[in-house]
Amino acid sequence: MAGDHHTKLSRREALALLAAGPGLLLLRSGPLRAAGASGPADADPDWSSRNWGYAIDPAKCIGCGACVRACRAENHVPVGRFRTWVERYHVLRSGEVHVDVAPGPNHVFTADVGVPREEIVKAFFVPKLCNHCERSVCSQVCPVGATYTSPDGVVLVDSKHCIGCGYCVQACPYGTRFINPETHVADKCTLCYHRIRHGLQPACVQACPTGARLFGDLNDPHGMLTTVLSQRRYRVLKPEMGTHPKCFYLGLDREVV
Amino acid sequence: MDFVFPNEVHVTWTVMIVLYPYITGLVAGAFIVSSLYHVFGRDELRPVARFSLASAFVFLCFATLPLLIHLGHPERAFNIMVTPHFTSAMAGFGYIYSAYLIVVVFEIWFVMRGDFIARARGTGLVALFCRAIVLFDLHEDDATRAADHRIARFLAGLGIPMACLLHGYVGFLFGSIKANPWWSTPLMFVIFIFSAIVSGIAVLVFHYVVVHKINGWKLDQACLRSLGRYLWGFMIIAVSLELLEILSIGYQQTEEWEVLAELIDRKLFVPYIVLQFLIFSLGPFLMLATIVLLRVRDRVHNVVLWLASVMLLFQVLLMRWNVVIGGQLLSKSMRGFTDYFPGLWEREGLVTAAVVFTMPFVILYVFHRVVPLFPPADPRPLDVEPTG
Amino acid sequence: MKPTSYRHALLPFALLALGLATAFGVRAALVPDTFGDRGWYRAAAVDDQAALAASYAPPTACAECHDDKAALHAKDAHERVPCQTCHGPGAEHVATNEVKLPKPAAASDCLACHQRLLARPGPFPQIDRRDHFKLVGVKDESTPCTTCHDPHEPLFLDRDRRQARLHPLIQRCRDCHLGRTDETLVKPADHPAIFECQYCHGEIVADFKQRPHQRVPCTTCHLFTKESDFAGRIVRDADPRFCLLCHRAGAFRSVDAPPSIEWPSHRDDVSTGPQDANKRCVDCHQDRIHLRRADLGAAHGG
Repeated sequence: MAGDHHTKLSRREALALLAAGPGLLLLRSGPLRAAGASGPADADPDWSSRNWGYAIDPAKCIGCGACVRACRAENHVPVGRFRTWVERYHVLRSGEVHVDVAPGPNHVFTADVGVPREEIVKAFFVPKLCNHCERSVCSQVCPVGATYTSPDGVVLVDSKHCIGCGYCVQACPYGTRFINPETHVADKCTLCYHRIRHGLQPACVQACPTGARLFGDLNDPHGMLTTVLSQRRYRVLKPEMGTHPKCFYLGLDREVV
Repeated sequence: MDFVFPNEVHVTWTVMIVLYPYITGLVAGAFIVSSLYHVFGRDELRPVARFSLASAFVFLCFATLPLLIHLGHPERAFNIMVTPHFTSAMAGFGYIYSAYLIVVVFEIWFVMRGDFIARARGTGLVALFCRAIVLFDLHEDDATRAADHRIARFLAGLGIPMACLLHGYVGFLFGSIKANPWWSTPLMFVIFIFSAIVSGIAVLVFHYVVVHKINGWKLDQACLRSLGRYLWGFMIIAVSLELLEILSIGYQQTEEWEVLAELIDRKLFVPYIVLQFLIFSLGPFLMLATIVLLRVRDRVHNVVLWLASVMLLFQVLLMRWNVVIGGQLLSKSMRGFTDYFPGLWEREGLVTAAVVFTMPFVILYVFHRVVPLFPPADPRPLDVEPTG
Repeated sequence: MKPTSYRHALLPFALLALGLATAFGVRAALVPDTFGDRGWYRAAAVDDQAALAASYAPPTACAECHDDKAALHAKDAHERVPCQTCHGPGAEHVATNEVKLPKPAAASDCLACHQRLLARPGPFPQIDRRDHFKLVGVKDESTPCTTCHDPHEPLFLDRDRRQARLHPLIQRCRDCHLGRTDETLVKPADHPAIFECQYCHGEIVADFKQRPHQRVPCTTCHLFTKESDFAGRIVRDADPRFCLLCHRAGAFRSVDAPPSIEWPSHRDDVSTGPQDANKRCVDCHQDRIHLRRADLGAAHGG
């Protein structure tokens, strides 16, 4: 069930994990640690006790867009709509901030922005996706109960019940929802629920070549995500909205909204 | 530099969602006028009492049409009544709308029972239709009329808060969307209700004068003067609230003000500042002030009132447009804006909007052909009692 | 008081009551199964979602059949890049093998990651095509990356990077100073310490700067991968195929390319016997690069 992710480690455990921390971050190719499954394709028997969370390390993101392409292929996202995307920020000497996303369905950046190099103070990429808020506005405002939070903390849409009114799209502070032009119902990132229920990782996390996207069970005190969150400074997007997002951005720049 | 989140390029709530609160606003406004007569005893409004009630009913019938056209799955529309999620402002819609529709239908039934019976006594298909309406009970006398009057009065009183709720929940819905700084304000509920009343009175004046001019009937001056006063009073309140809202956020200048100021300046300057406030609010305000405060001839009064009503109809439509569309032009990234041009022939396009808006007037005309919506020039013995 | 007769009103209200009762009954019947079991939603929807088919296979699935490629891949620079990130979703291929996965080989496929962009982290290997081709002497701008770089073995590392030697963090000026080029920067007295090669390897760097490879940055051949904020691993790549990335002759080479040879014919040409069969470039051409620590001997301190 969704629960508090601030857990304590013993000093010894903490030191051991700190030393191995960077190494742990490399371990993305195997099945999840505490999945309790005998193999990656088997259903996870403890699924209802999980509380899935997500973390993003923008410093590692190279803006290649592999996550966006993987999500599109895995979830059949229509062209022109995005369950996830990558933003690029250029902070200029003048204080101005230039933000853009990669053009086209392949989401590939091919060139710098047309600003003289000397004007740029810093530049970085920030992946975005549904934050799977603990107090999601979208599930509050759905008039028919088509959007809800699953027992394992994932905000999902019942595409057989949704009437396509678009209220949830307007209510989401993060712009992560859209009305699917093919199915005419609300659509958004599902954390690849069909994958995570079988011990696999979301397609975006698996596809990322640099480990900028992290996924794990916030209820697991020894899990990778909980460990990273206990080591690094992080924040969430628009905390003033009171949504309690479960997507944590490590070391995020103040310009990112 | 304009940056919008990739999913925000396409505007979700289109002109249909502009039209929906506009139509329910007309419903609420027309119903309030009808209730001013039936509940609060404003006798000078008798000439439009029945007409306004019928207008409210007809607009109410078409209120759901823009929503159904907009829904991704209109065939699932009843989900809102089968599994209403009451944490959502929209969930109450199905029940509030249905309840209010029942109240209006019943009120019309009791107010106009006499006219339906009169028509039912004839021959032909329409007479049969009227007999069905009165449930094949054609008996009426002073006692039944007295009972009708009481029930109608009760329903008219009950309908006022329901009308306010039906239209007000839309305002509350917008005002409670914290994610959108153009919409998020507690004032939105009240703004919507008062501007709805303005639009309701305005459409009654507009329609009443047009119908009477076409048929060559005489205008009731006392009624029009009263409507002019109510129109002026309610528009002052409505515009004051609209101004209060924008001045308040402009004064406080919290973080969102930067992008809201840019929204007004770059995207909404003409529709919001120039049209909604300068031309179509200030104009009617001055026009109505003149005819209400100064002594003017009837003819001048009526022309100016009619023009002011037309302008206020635009003002309220513009206000709905600037709220609904304006809010979606602004990106939640607080860094840019998108554009919206309603298509012409699309499912949610301008032609559809025009048809949806015109239909109620057509149906109202048909209604009038079945039973008269205006008290006849020579009162018949049946109409001595104030049944409507 | 006026007499009132409500009899005629009974029927409409009775019909209303009947209608409402029917409506509520119908409503109750229309509520979907499992609705409300877990919350205000159709509980079965969770299972619907969980039952969707996956398009991407688990990342370890590829190695079960393609163990040779997987082994190469695991050793080299692309080790962290999952197979399906380049080859696309593989669940169907794993299941039926009737579907073959694409083998992206166009420059645009590589440049999606490796195009030089200011927003990309400095240490991440990224190129501007024109500059890169100028450095390695390629004249034809349409030459695909795969002409030289095998995607599964892009650098032909001679050992597994994950077991390579630990090394303090190496940074270049532009890793922090984004908008400026190295040449335009002046280091003030209290500049934060950064490890430049010559601080520890002074004699070797001084020697290197007098030899033909002086234009090549140290980290080109001594590939460094950052592992944390203070350390990484360094590889000294002596595989001949790595040297050939710059030095193999071909029609795509420009006139001012580095000296080019044919391979493996060059080794055969200069071979003096069977002992030379597995010789690497550095075994003969070390003097073109720089003296090794062993050669510096006593002066270096061991």
